[in-house]
Amino acid sequence: MILFAKISKLSVALVAGLSLWAQAAEAPKHVDIKQLSKKVDDVVVPLPNEVFGALNKLGGVNWREYVRNDKGSNFTERPRIALLLGAVIADGFIAVQAEDAPTVKEIGARVLALAKGIGVGGSITPHAKAITDAADKRNWVAVRSELDRTQNSVQQAMNEVHDEKLSQLVSLGGWLRGTEVLTAVVNKRYSEEGAELLHQPDLLVYFENKLQSMPEYNLRLLLDIHAALLEVKPLIDTGDAQISPAAVKKINEITTRLGDAITKKS
Amino acid sequence: MTPSFQIFRRVSLALVCVVALAPVTRASVDDAQSFALQAAEPYVKDGFQVREDYWGGDLGVAEKKAVRQQLFKGNEYWFWLGTEVEAAKVSVHVYDADGKLVEQPDGWQKGHFAGAHIIPKNTGSYFVIVEIEQSPEERTHWALVYGFR
Repeated sequence: MILFAKISKLSVALVAGLSLWAQAAEAPKHVDIKQLSKKVDDVVVPLPNEVFGALNKLGGVNWREYVRNDKGSNFTERPRIALLLGAVIADGFIAVQAEDAPTVKEIGARVLALAKGIGVGGSITPHAKAITDAADKRNWVAVRSELDRTQNSVQQAMNEVHDEKLSQLVSLGGWLRGTEVLTAVVNKRYSEEGAELLHQPDLLVYFENKLQSMPEYNLRLLLDIHAALLEVKPLIDTGDAQISPAAVKKINEITTRLGDAITKKS
Repeated sequence: MTPSFQIFRRVSLALVCVVALAPVTRASVDDAQSFALQAAEPYVKDGFQVREDYWGGDLGVAEKKAVRQQLFKGNEYWFWLGTEVEAAKVSVHVYDADGKLVEQPDGWQKGHFAGAHIIPKNTGSYFVIVEIEQSPEERTHWALVYGFR
């Protein structure tokens, strides 16, 4: 009887499951995006290693060339620390691509120091330790996950104390460093597929809007970044046309200049 | 009781209610996230890196929400949607910037879980559209996570 009851319950569950499956409505083949526009969230900022992963699949990238050991200057202005923090986390992803364990460990320590400088060190300590442990074991999958957790924890800690703007600067710092390396790789060995990875116009608009909403920071560097984004926009917003080698070179010059400004005191 | 004291008492009561309810609301979106992550779990073994960040909120029945997402050609993505309301039925689908459905045919919908799979043909913006198709609740919490490889 107990067995029968079990079988009976299982059958009911199975039938219920199958009927739910059968009821699954087919998705419309087309939707009017404009109609949904009022319900569209801001664009999601990808992690630097999303673009590095795609770039890596095109082959021939010597990631060691792009590993940066320069720790950058020590800043006291919180927006500058936030930008640098994002750039250093992106450097962590580059060091992982290069499988450079000593640099990954240095970056873990640097991220912790910067997070402390901005008042969110407490949430980062366990991640910094996990990055070091995983790098020692050369467990690159784990290092990648910890870098992601680190960025997420920093940004959550900032959001909790209503420092959303600093959190956005962390994303911007990471995006700029990622774009600098992406353009350096594609500039060295141009391919249409590599250049296409720069097609990110909505992200540019997103960062432009965020920067415009930060007048209180009143930093020359933020004004420079804003002006640079306006310069980059027509170079990557090419519609169906490919992004030219000249455009890639130009974007690399711009992002390298900004990268230097983020890491060094002017 | 003076009118100003009455106003003070009402405002205080409202504030107490807001403070008391806030963690509950947050907890529910967090619960939804744990279900979305549960849906993602089998894919980690297949090499998908699941982002720590997630997107969520609450929706009424038949209400849709779009999340704009930058995707890169060469990567492969899965989006997983979950809610803690077990009797709910949710769906997630991916469209390109022109509003064309671009997901792979192996997407799925199992009650309060759903998944959509995309191998983008172009680098650019895409729209991930989430919907609460059925639910016994007036508003249903949802959370969306994604992974790539």
